[in-house]
Amino acid sequence: MENHKIGVYICNCGTNISKVVDCDEVVGKALDQPGVVCAKSYKYMCSNPGQEMIIKDIQEQGLDRVVVSACSPRMHEPTFRKALIKAGINPYFLEMANIREQCSWVHTDPRQATDKATSLTKGAVRRVVHHEPLEKRFVDMCPATLVIGGGITGLTAALELAESGNQVFLVDQAAQLGGNLARVDLTAPYLDSARDILTERIRRVLENPNINTFLNAKVSGLDGFVGNFKAEIQPAAGEKVTVEVGSVVVATGYKPFDASRVKAFGYGTNPNVITSFEFEQMLRSGKIVTGKGKIPKYVTIIHCVGSRSEEFNRYCSRVCCMTALKYGQEVKSALPDAFVYDLYIDMHAFGKGCEDFYKQASAIRTIFLMYQKNTAPQIRPAGPGDDCEMFLRVDDRLCGEEIDFPTDLVILMVGMEARDDSAEVARLVNISRDRDGWFIESHPKLDPVATTTEGVYIAGCCQSPKDINESVAQAMAATARIMAKIARGRIEVDAVFAEVNQDDCSGCRVCNELCPYGAIDFNTELHRSSVISAKCKACGACVSACPSAAIKARHFTDEQIFAQIEGVL
Amino acid sequence: MTVQADPRLVAELEIYGAQDVLKCYHCGNCTAVCPFSKAPFIFPRKSMRYLQMGLREKLKSNLEPWLCYYCGECSEQCPREAEPGETMMSMRRWLTAQYDFTGISNLLYRSWKMELLGIIVLAILTGLGFYMFGTATGDIHKYDGPGAFLPSAVIHAFDWTMATILSTFLLINCGRMWWFTMGRDPEHRATPAMYARRAGLLLLHFFTQKRYSECDRKGPWRLHIVLMLSYVSMLVLIMFFLPMMQAGPAVNWWAHAFGYAATAGLLITVAMALWGRVQKSATHYKHSHETDWIFLIMLFYVALTGILQHACHRLGSPYAANILYLAHLMGVVPMLVLEVPFSKWAHMCYRPLAMYFSHVQVDAMAAKESAAAETLPA
Repeated sequence: MENHKIGVYICNCGTNISKVVDCDEVVGKALDQPGVVCAKSYKYMCSNPGQEMIIKDIQEQGLDRVVVSACSPRMHEPTFRKALIKAGINPYFLEMANIREQCSWVHTDPRQATDKATSLTKGAVRRVVHHEPLEKRFVDMCPATLVIGGGITGLTAALELAESGNQVFLVDQAAQLGGNLARVDLTAPYLDSARDILTERIRRVLENPNINTFLNAKVSGLDGFVGNFKAEIQPAAGEKVTVEVGSVVVATGYKPFDASRVKAFGYGTNPNVITSFEFEQMLRSGKIVTGKGKIPKYVTIIHCVGSRSEEFNRYCSRVCCMTALKYGQEVKSALPDAFVYDLYIDMHAFGKGCEDFYKQASAIRTIFLMYQKNTAPQIRPAGPGDDCEMFLRVDDRLCGEEIDFPTDLVILMVGMEARDDSAEVARLVNISRDRDGWFIESHPKLDPVATTTEGVYIAGCCQSPKDINESVAQAMAATARIMAKIARGRIEVDAVFAEVNQDDCSGCRVCNELCPYGAIDFNTELHRSSVISAKCKACGACVSACPSAAIKARHFTDEQIFAQIEGVL
Repeated sequence: MTVQADPRLVAELEIYGAQDVLKCYHCGNCTAVCPFSKAPFIFPRKSMRYLQMGLREKLKSNLEPWLCYYCGECSEQCPREAEPGETMMSMRRWLTAQYDFTGISNLLYRSWKMELLGIIVLAILTGLGFYMFGTATGDIHKYDGPGAFLPSAVIHAFDWTMATILSTFLLINCGRMWWFTMGRDPEHRATPAMYARRAGLLLLHFFTQKRYSECDRKGPWRLHIVLMLSYVSMLVLIMFFLPMMQAGPAVNWWAHAFGYAATAGLLITVAMALWGRVQKSATHYKHSHETDWIFLIMLFYVALTGILQHACHRLGSPYAANILYLAHLMGVVPMLVLEVPFSKWAHMCYRPLAMYFSHVQVDAMAAKESAAAETLPA
């Protein structure tokens, strides 16, 4: 280790660091460390001149290890690694000490902050000498994709991929393509026909030679890793098919909330109470009638059935508000003399065109009523003298009166729920679900279609309730990610991953169940575990759990970590 | 208490001018901006809600529309163009029709054609009646004195008869207003002492429109008070000093000066109001119900013919004066018969009454509250 030449670079980050940490003192202390041949501070180390300085020092002074004390490595580690590559040394010969988030931003005492920055820098100096040169590795990328779910999201994903010349296996449990959208009449807020949207896409899917469609089928197994999956497709009748794919798009959608769970509405026993999907059916058949087959004079639409409630689902199902406004307009257009009551908790009219749609609904005289969250309006049958089938009692918060209003037909806006098989699907493709059963994305804002399993993408309502345009956008986003990988032809696998020393492994399999990424393979013949490096995220769980200390995490070796601790102390 | 909704009420009020009430989504900006909205009379949002929900009886017993003077700030603030100000105006029209026991008001508000027909029929009847009477008992070339075409004593007697009949109608309607807003509601039951204590408010609000003057915008109140005082002056002159008014041809400044001032006041303010409505120059002029036009045009016509017949008489043309007098009466009679008990003019009673009742309501509720507090165990 005495042979190493280390350069230490202390960033001021403008004044972000230097206003609390005395950077020059840290430079001085760093110079005292064994192996450090140069130490400098600079205003912005990540800037081009900052990087140039490092590159120049490496080349002129023959540095072989670099420590940058600056911001979080999440921010600029890639930047400095690139600088090292430019200078001609292995990028893993870099170590960063976070003296911004962990020092200057969280401490007010300059003395203590400076001491801490010095300690962290020393730790990095001690650690970096143990760094080993690591090389990035590549695996092949199979250009075929498995799309699970044939609703609007799955159809879009399949078309995007197939029309770019890639092979797609499209699997749906139903006998027909179209998913839940196939049960809808018109769409909000522009009143386009769902049928028009769908049939054109389904036709394109069925005609495209790049798409193999499996109906009445489900995916029964998925093995492998990004770029190299093997999927088993099990048709309801017939032989299991195994296909090779590089990526998976999960677009399994949602299931409508079961309205009979809300006892107060009497769905299932009162024939005048129907769900939104049953009303869509009426609209498609062109006949709006009550349970007795009469034309309704008063139609009531109740929002948030199963949604935004403590008892059922706490989340908002997002599409019901606009669908309810659409129903109001459709009722009025079919039955101009009918009165439409719209019972809502809050009107969520976000999204393009939706506020106008809400206004439009008011303009055609939809009567809006606000009811309280976690309550259900009561329904009672009307008497023989009344001109309606039922009365609905609402405690109207906007005028403080308890109001009975006449109604003949009640439409329950049922929310969206995760499908019953979502747990099974999640297990199958190795992704996680939130407490409501929706699949979890990699990052809620910056990576909304990727998952913790590389190569597996989620799109549409299986991730959370969303409307058609959002689902389509997600499908396209997922396919864009896939096509970027296909275009590169191979996949870069991070050089940082765990390795099992086959000689030390006792085959106890403790690590097998522990790995959150399913990255550990157990060879039953040799009775040894091994890490599939392409799947490994280098979390270190297996490393610390291995009773035989047979697993080593590259770039996080025991030596490196102990040296760092020593340096810090 | 559960109240029953009547979804047809919205369509009914639409005829009275409330075209946009369903656009309201109850943000409450209107109520926040209204300088008059003070507990327990928080408006106009809540009244809008009663209407949206079709709570007919709630609306009928509601005094709030009369507490609004339509400065228009609410409508300007409304993010949905639900026109709360115009809705309150329409509710006043509707309430006028509800208070009226004859159903005539309802007819006039619902159909301007009916109103026009009523005016024409009454005008023809008045014209024919006075013409036949005038030619039978006098000379169309004589304006006053013995043998006059329309002798002031006769007109005077006619005025008082008409005033008695119209006042009776109006009083009955005022009684109904009391019943709907005060009498039938146990919450608002007040003692005679409570009524007596607040009685002064009636006169105060009748003559000064004090509340109107408290609007943020003073312009409309100024115009209105000039119009109202001119009208009342003219009414007093005609009801009590008609013989002096008609005598001539010399100008009797003691009486006529008031008449000129009142006529000028009427003509100018009515012309301004008409012009405002044509130009839609202010929020409260933006929406004009047919009855608004008819009312203003009638008033202008009556004031104009009144001053013209006077001028012709003074300038020595008794024939022209008589013809114009006849034309004047053909305007005055239908205007008063239709407007005073059944239409817009009834507001001269309903507004001060509402101010009066609202204070009595507050007193009654306060008395109830303190009584309830006393009966509570310590």
